[in-house]
Amino acid sequence: MNITQINLTIAQMLDYTTPILFAALCGVLSESSGVVNIGLDGIMRFGAFFGLLGAFFSHSPWIGLLLGIAIGCLVGALHAFITIKWNGDQTVSGTAINVIATGLMTYLLEYVFSTTGYSPQLQNYFGAQAYRVHLPFLAKVPLLGAFSDLSVMIWFGFICTVLMHVLLYHTVLGLRIRTCGENPKAATTLGINVFRVRWFAVIAGAALAGIGGAALSISSFSGFSDSMPNGVGFIGLAAMIFGKWTPFGALGAALLFGTGQIVQSLIAVTGIAPKLAPGLTLILPYVLTLAVLAGFVSRSIAPAADGMPYYKEQR
Amino acid sequence: MKALEVRSISKMFPGNLANDNISFSVEKGEIFAIVGENGAGKSTLMNIIYGIYTPSGGDLLVNEKEVKIRSVEDAIKLRMGMVHQEFMLIPRFTVTQNIVIGDEPHKGIFFDYGRAVREVRELSERVSLTVDATAVAGDLPVGVQQRIEILKVLRRGAQILIFDEPTAVLTPEETVDLFVTMRKLQAEGKTILFISHKLKEVMEIADRIAVLRRGKLQGIVNKKDTNEEELARMMVGRNVVLEIPKVDVEVGAVAFACHDLHVRNKRGYETVKGMSFDVRGGEIVGIAGVQGNGQDELVNAMIGFSHPVSGSMELNGKNMRLVTTAQLRKEGMSYITEDRARRGLVMPYTVRENAVMGQHLGRPFSKGIRMDYDKLAEFAEGKVREYDIRPGDVYDTAGSLSGGNQQKLILARELSLPHNFLIASQPTRGLDVGATEFVYHKLLEEKKAGKAILLISLELSEILGLSDRILVIFEGHIVGETTPDKTTEEALGLLMLGVGIDKKVQS
Repeated sequence: MNITQINLTIAQMLDYTTPILFAALCGVLSESSGVVNIGLDGIMRFGAFFGLLGAFFSHSPWIGLLLGIAIGCLVGALHAFITIKWNGDQTVSGTAINVIATGLMTYLLEYVFSTTGYSPQLQNYFGAQAYRVHLPFLAKVPLLGAFSDLSVMIWFGFICTVLMHVLLYHTVLGLRIRTCGENPKAATTLGINVFRVRWFAVIAGAALAGIGGAALSISSFSGFSDSMPNGVGFIGLAAMIFGKWTPFGALGAALLFGTGQIVQSLIAVTGIAPKLAPGLTLILPYVLTLAVLAGFVSRSIAPAADGMPYYKEQR
Repeated sequence: MKALEVRSISKMFPGNLANDNISFSVEKGEIFAIVGENGAGKSTLMNIIYGIYTPSGGDLLVNEKEVKIRSVEDAIKLRMGMVHQEFMLIPRFTVTQNIVIGDEPHKGIFFDYGRAVREVRELSERVSLTVDATAVAGDLPVGVQQRIEILKVLRRGAQILIFDEPTAVLTPEETVDLFVTMRKLQAEGKTILFISHKLKEVMEIADRIAVLRRGKLQGIVNKKDTNEEELARMMVGRNVVLEIPKVDVEVGAVAFACHDLHVRNKRGYETVKGMSFDVRGGEIVGIAGVQGNGQDELVNAMIGFSHPVSGSMELNGKNMRLVTTAQLRKEGMSYITEDRARRGLVMPYTVRENAVMGQHLGRPFSKGIRMDYDKLAEFAEGKVREYDIRPGDVYDTAGSLSGGNQQKLILARELSLPHNFLIASQPTRGLDVGATEFVYHKLLEEKKAGKAILLISLELSEILGLSDRILVIFEGHIVGETTPDKTTEEALGLLMLGVGIDKKVQS
């Protein structure tokens, strides 16, 4: 393998990492406030389809991205409405969102494009040359060369990680979000409106999941496929846990899972793959997810009130 | 001037009138105590004053002006502050973070942690409540955690401070410190509402005392004009015998014996360092000691939660050193725990289920894999009547009962299991006088029935009143054995602190 190939491999790994990262960041924000969002896989599916829809009809991936964010917020608001306003079970609500996403996107795909399985391909998507961030001065540097020609979404993912870290650990709002996730009753006694903070965290988190979905359909790939997001949302949840509910931890974990994906692709090109049972290499990222969770979950501590509905007048 | 006035406040919870038309006023600079049994409505009333609950009716006046307190924000704006019974701390946050949340020093949207730390240090110096501003709250002892809570409300300029059962979690030394702080605050002109069911403490600190019973105000008395007995009578609604009657029983055979027992705690340190003692049928053996001198580990070993490192342990003559809790129970051990929430009961389960736990396998409560819930309910209803567990619906969850009734439920279950050895670990912790009296009666009944009882308690009056023999433990050793007629609270207190230990008695 020469330098160019290595760079390409790293770039591709980052491409896989980005949707996982956005999913994990969604989880970090939402769960820091105390709301589990297991529906983020479904929200990604919404984001992936609507991202494509916007990009396809406007011929601009930016419009697609905005539509992805909008639908993420909308579905996030549904989750918030059920779990915060009505204290519905967070797992049930999230699962319902996943189920709705599966059925509704398949239906919409056939209804809008009269096709099954795959949407039409996009000419203008973030993976296309015109939308890449070119940093020619990096091209000659070994390893960093991979960063000379990346989709804008990948950079966006890194920026969001930093922003999330600043939000959670250096702003007043962040301190309050974490307070709501640790001890909502204490937050109330300090005059913090737990419900408002949680609404914000769930919706803003869901917007990130929407971006993550769009990153699949209009950045990593140039179209929507009916199998999206292929469990990326759940891998993102695993990355969140592995990353100890912190933004940079999530980034590290997402990179690890992204590497798992790329190893799978490498096996495919080395020619070993045909000797293995078909599909065996495809499960590699998921096996990695399981192994990591089994090995590390016990050492990772969730926010104390994570997943607990909050009743103000509970006795 | 009246700092606070409460006019005809009522609060309805579904099926329960928690506060019934309560009125009183508190003068500025006064320490005003509100006493009542568990479940009398004290905490509910405080939560109304502090804006956490909305009252079903009535008015509140602060500084002689009528106010509407719809939320905690409103209460804070009116310069009220509450130190809650269960601390409102975030263990993972630093002391500073805990103190400033909700009113953070900031630059724009950014949290200015450096300034926050400085502010906390200044405040802590000004009111002479020492805390380490950058320590992680969860690592600190309970007394210090409470200091954080007090600093939290003072930082927000509170003039009226509500202390909700502040001494329930404190050691006697920490309580002394707290009272010093409260007096200092009073001297600064702060008004203090002190909620408690410990009459001794109320008589020590309060200026006036309001008594609640089952949601109703029974009366307000000046401390000068009252005494503990009168308060107890007002709280419970009848004469309470705080003295424990002497019961003489023929002492029987040894039920439990241990020899040179060594036990390690969870972190692997040896905290029981060679204890030897026995408990005979028909006697109560009291273990006196300051908390954290090996009591927890001793009990854990005795109930099979952890296995002793070395030494012997026998129940009814059988070796019980390396057995499970189930085997110990089968052999006749019953266990009353102070930790009702984590060990005694399953809070989300109903009274019915909690009442039979441990004997639910096999007849009459189950046949094969099927539970006979009618039998359960029938049994539980009998126990509810016998032990007067209120409100008395066997379909209520254990968590919805007051502390006293939870304890009665534990007693009902443990005493109905076949047993001849009873471990009572701080059986009256957090209980009011009525429930305490009930527990004492039951323990004496057990003694009369010839059971062997080991009583572990931090309350010396309890140890002296109930025990036939007293073992004093200090740093994992039994440092003395005596009987109630040969000792005093003072002598025991010194022994418990390790003062003047005669090396000979160390076993």
